[in-house]
Parts: sequence; C-alpha cells; structure tokens
Amino acid sequence: MSTGAIRLDSITKQYPNSAKRAVSELTLEIQEGSVFGLLGPNGAGKSTTVMMLCGLMRPDSGSISVFGTDVMENGADIRKHIGVAPQEIALFPTLTAYENLFYFGRMYGLKASEIRAQIKKYLQVFGLSEKGNKIVSTFSGGMKKRLNLIAALLHQPKLIILDEPTAGVDVQSRNMILDFLETLKKEGTTIIYSSHVLEEVERICSHLGIIDEGKLISTGTRTSIMGAHDDCKNLEQVFLKLTGKNIRD
Amino acid sequence: MKILATIYKEFLLLIRDPGGMALIFIMPLALVIVMALVQDAPFRDYQEIKLEVIFVDQDRDSLSAKVLKAFKASPNVSLIVKNDTTEAKKLVQAGNFKAAIVLPKNASADLRRKTKQLISRVFANFGFSAETDSATLPVIDIKIFFDPTIKSNYRQALSGAVEKIAANVQTEWVLDELQQQLSEGREEAPQKITFDITKIMRIDERYASENKYQGLMLNSVQHNVPAWTMFAMFFILYPLAGNFIKEREEGSMLRLRLISGSQWPVISGKFGFYFMICLLQFVLMIAVGIYIMPLLGLTKLVLGSNPLGILLTASSVAMAATGYGVLIAVYFRTPQQALSFGSVSVVILSAIGGVWVPVYVMPEILQTVSRFSPMSWGLESFNDLFLRQASIRAILPNVLRLMGFAMAALATSVIIHKSRTVV
Repeated sequence: MSTGAIRLDSITKQYPNSAKRAVSELTLEIQEGSVFGLLGPNGAGKSTTVMMLCGLMRPDSGSISVFGTDVMENGADIRKHIGVAPQEIALFPTLTAYENLFYFGRMYGLKASEIRAQIKKYLQVFGLSEKGNKIVSTFSGGMKKRLNLIAALLHQPKLIILDEPTAGVDVQSRNMILDFLETLKKEGTTIIYSSHVLEEVERICSHLGIIDEGKLISTGTRTSIMGAHDDCKNLEQVFLKLTGKNIRD
Repeated sequence: MKILATIYKEFLLLIRDPGGMALIFIMPLALVIVMALVQDAPFRDYQEIKLEVIFVDQDRDSLSAKVLKAFKASPNVSLIVKNDTTEAKKLVQAGNFKAAIVLPKNASADLRRKTKQLISRVFANFGFSAETDSATLPVIDIKIFFDPTIKSNYRQALSGAVEKIAANVQTEWVLDELQQQLSEGREEAPQKITFDITKIMRIDERYASENKYQGLMLNSVQHNVPAWTMFAMFFILYPLAGNFIKEREEGSMLRLRLISGSQWPVISGKFGFYFMICLLQFVLMIAVGIYIMPLLGLTKLVLGSNPLGILLTASSVAMAATGYGVLIAVYFRTPQQALSFGSVSVVILSAIGGVWVPVYVMPEILQTVSRFSPMSWGLESFNDLFLRQASIRAILPNVLRLMGFAMAALATSVIIHKSRTVV
C-alpha cells in the first residue's frame, strides 16, 4: 500500500451567512487502496469535505490533492478518477435503469461498447439484470440505491466516495452492497465511506477519520482507534465517547 | 457524443412526460387557434368590416340612384334602404346600425337646379345671354346619424364617401348643364360627352413591399399565428426550467457535476434539444395557420416568398427563447421561483412585444418599450417576411438582435452556473 492517495492539508470552509466554520483546519491523509470511514454527527462537516474533495466547492484556505493532483487546479481532471454515490438517488426517475446508466456512461466519455459491457456486469452483480428495462421510479428503495451505486462505478474510478449507501434499504440489499464493497477493497480500490451505521463501518473500513464541528478529532487505522479506547466495546461507543451524546441538529 | 447523449436523454424525458408534451404542443396549438378566432372580429373591425348603414331615400331620383350604385360597389358599406327617418334614427340609437344616411326629398331636383343656376351665372358673367334663375335655393341637407359607439375613422370614412359621391354627381351634372346650355340654339346638337372621373384620375392602392410580390394586409391569422407561436416558443422555459431544477433537486444534476469534464455538454445538450423543440413548435403552428385556420372560417396563413428568411427568423427566435429558458433555469433555485417569474416575464415580454395587440395600436411609451422585447424583434421580422415580402437583408438587424439576446442569456447562464458549482 502506498501513501498519500488523498491529502487534505489544513482546509477551512465557512459558508456565507454562517457564524461557524463548516470545516476548520482539517488535515487528513487517506492511503491508496484503503477503505476510509469518514464519520461524524450530522453537521460535522463530512459533506462539505467530500464536496471540496471532488472539486465542487473551493475551500477558503488549505489545499487538497487527489492522486498527486491539486484539486483546485485540475478539478475536472481529478473527477475522471472519482466515482461518487451521493446519499440522494441521483438518477432520472422516468428513464429505465439501462437508459440512466448508458447516459451517465456517455457523460463519463465511455464508448458505447464499454458502457454496455459495464452495465451488463454491474446489473448482474447487483441483482438487477431483469430490471434493466424498467423505469427507475417503479424500483424499490433498495434497487434504487444499488443502481445509484452502479452509476458511480461505470467508469471504473480509482476513488469511490459513498455517502450513506445503505440508508433506507432492506437487509438483503445492504448485504449485497457491503459484499460488493469488500470485493472492491480486495481489488485495491480506494473508498471513502460515510455512514451512520457503525456496524457497517466496522465491517468494511480499514481506516477511520472522525470529524466533529468541522475538526478532525481522531484518525488512524480502525484497530488503532479501537485500541486507544479499550474501555469501549464497539465503534459506536468510541464514537459517542469522542463526539458526545448531545444531539446536533 | 456527450451533447447527443444529453439531447437523447432530454427526448426520453419529454416523451415520458405527458403534461410536458401537452404544454409544449397541445396548449400552444389551442392557444393560437383560440386567439386567432377571438381576435378575428377586432381585426376585421378596423380593416375588413362591412358596415351596414341605413339609407333613407326621400329623394328617389338620380342622386339617390348614384348613392345606391356607389355603395353597392363598396366592399366596406352595405346600404339597407328604409323609408322612415324616425325609424332609421331609432334603429341607430338602439345600436342596431352604426349609421343612417338621409337623402332629403327633392335633393336631385335641387342639385340640378343649383347646378343650372351656377352655369347660367357663369355664362351671364362672360356676356352670354342666358336665362337666370335668381331664386335662393336652400342648402341640400344630407343628414347622417351616427351611433355614438362608432369609431371616428368609420365616421370620417362614411362622411367622406357620401361627400365624394355628391361631389362626383355635381361635377357630372355641371358638365351636362354646360353642354346643354352651349348646344342651345344649335340645329344639331353635338354628341354629349359623358364624364367618368376614374378615367381622369385614379387612386391606385398598393402595399409597399420590397420586391415584385405584392404584400398582404395584416389580419387575425397573419398576426396571431407568428405572435402566439413565439409566445409558445418562449414558454419552453416552463418544461426546460422545470426539468433543470427538478434534476438539481433530485440529485441527478449533482451527479452530472461530479462527472468529469465541463458542464458545457449538459447545458448545450439541453439547449440543442429545446431549440429543436421550439422549431418543431414553429412548424406545427405554421401548419395550423395554413391547414386548420381556413377550416375554421379564418383566412389561410400566407408565408410570403422568403423561406430562408423564415427559417433564419424561426431559428433565432428559438435560440432566444431557449437561451432565456436556460437563464431562468440556472438563476432560480426553486421551481416555484423559476416558473412564476418565467411565466410572468414571458407574458410581459409578449404584451410589450406586440403579441396580444399589434405594437402600432399601443400608446407611444409602450411602443418605445416594445423595442426592447425579443418578441417584438421576432414579430417585426415575421411581419416583414409575411406581409412585406422582405429580403434577408431587411430582417437581419432583428435576427442579429435575437441571436445576441440568446448569446447573452447563455453566457450569463454559464457564468452563474460556474460561480455556483465547479472550482
């Protein structure tokens, strides 16, 4: 495993009309091939960090590099290597699964034959082969989540960012998604995984970063963080110990 | 490829949206037909109307025969003969007729006598012996009763027509009397010369057009079809902005932002698709003007003789409409804001642009303001092509204005979009 696939160096972001910084002096390093759990309570600054990482938002200060490229200099280039599955179902509900994926594949700049092969592969992996020609609005929540994930994988990105990929899905769908992520992990794909379901994080993440109030409060391998809090039985207890029990939103 | 993919995606989204399809195609067709029918009467009112006018003929002589003959040939006035002045006045007062002409008893005889008096006096003045009739004759009092609601231009036109007929008759009789008095005392009278003023002087009415083709008078169809077609084209912002903002809210726009490369293919694909839809709307509406309007008793839309000019104007209007739609879609953050502002602004632009009523009937201040509406540029260009048979050179300034408007709207959209999204 090499180091420094993703480096966030002292980044700060404060939204206009907001008294508080959304992200404050955040420094983080994510190693290539790791599955990095980005954790934090609601409003901690996770989404802002991800937006800045993808080059969709400019930090007020600090620098971000992904695979050695400065995001602020070459945001468009870096996005070629990133696949993002946002928490919202970022699909066209009146198109079929196939039409959605084909369109996104085209927008990634892939050839038609490549897109067809990728669609076939991933629909099969996620148990949607029979649903390719169905309109997305008729899909269940779990099917939509799986399709949402496929749309982020079509161009075979080196970095995958997943925001609550299992929120609102049934146990079977969740299991299928997690199994697939474990396969990607074995293949050496770098994954940033943001979730409030800490059992899932424990299952698949090799590294963790816990953010609260825009600041990084703990980072390291999952085992090192767990080991530092041997009074806690699981990651949830560690998380609550570090971030407190107060409700944030 | 990205642009084509976006165009195809927009096509799929539209054909699966029955409401959007109805809004783009069915509503504008219904609108153009209804507006053409509704405005047909007002347009005829000031251009093609045939006024029914009562004619009370108390004279029943040659002057009344001339009046009847003259108005029979008139395309705008139809005389209804009545005998009773009081009845005629009541009918006009009741609003059943717009006017009544009363030709008094002995009008012909009095006019003849007055003419004879005049000629005799002229002869006597020049030393020719002539019988002079020194009686003072009353003025021949032709009365015209008008309905108070009649437009002043009709009133003037009718009075003018009656005066003209009387003047022609008088001129004719002057000549007759002159010939008669000159031939008095001759054994063999020379052949009588008849008088026809149209053979001396004629008013040749033509529409000023640029080339050999004759122009066409503006009517309800010629005004409403291009006007409401443009209105419908500008209303493309409704599905365009609606879909754009829906995609933003649903997250698919976020995914497109996250996808590599610039946003140009997304914006230009949308622009390209809706541009083509605008052109399709134009073709359909024009087809309605040509094939459906005559079936409804309206006139057939006449396109003139410059198909290239029409294509150029339609394309530039489509560009302006789509560009405006993209701007609204990008600028506003919620569908409510975009669609409310967008639709009201299109209604305002159309009103000041001369879509509802022609610009020339507007107050002067609005005529000045209308110069800044893209719909006014488009409508002016269509009128130039359809009615004035104008060349491409003549419509070019308006076409360039429309294209400039489209480019400005698109450039502003890109700036706004960029400022809100990518690093």
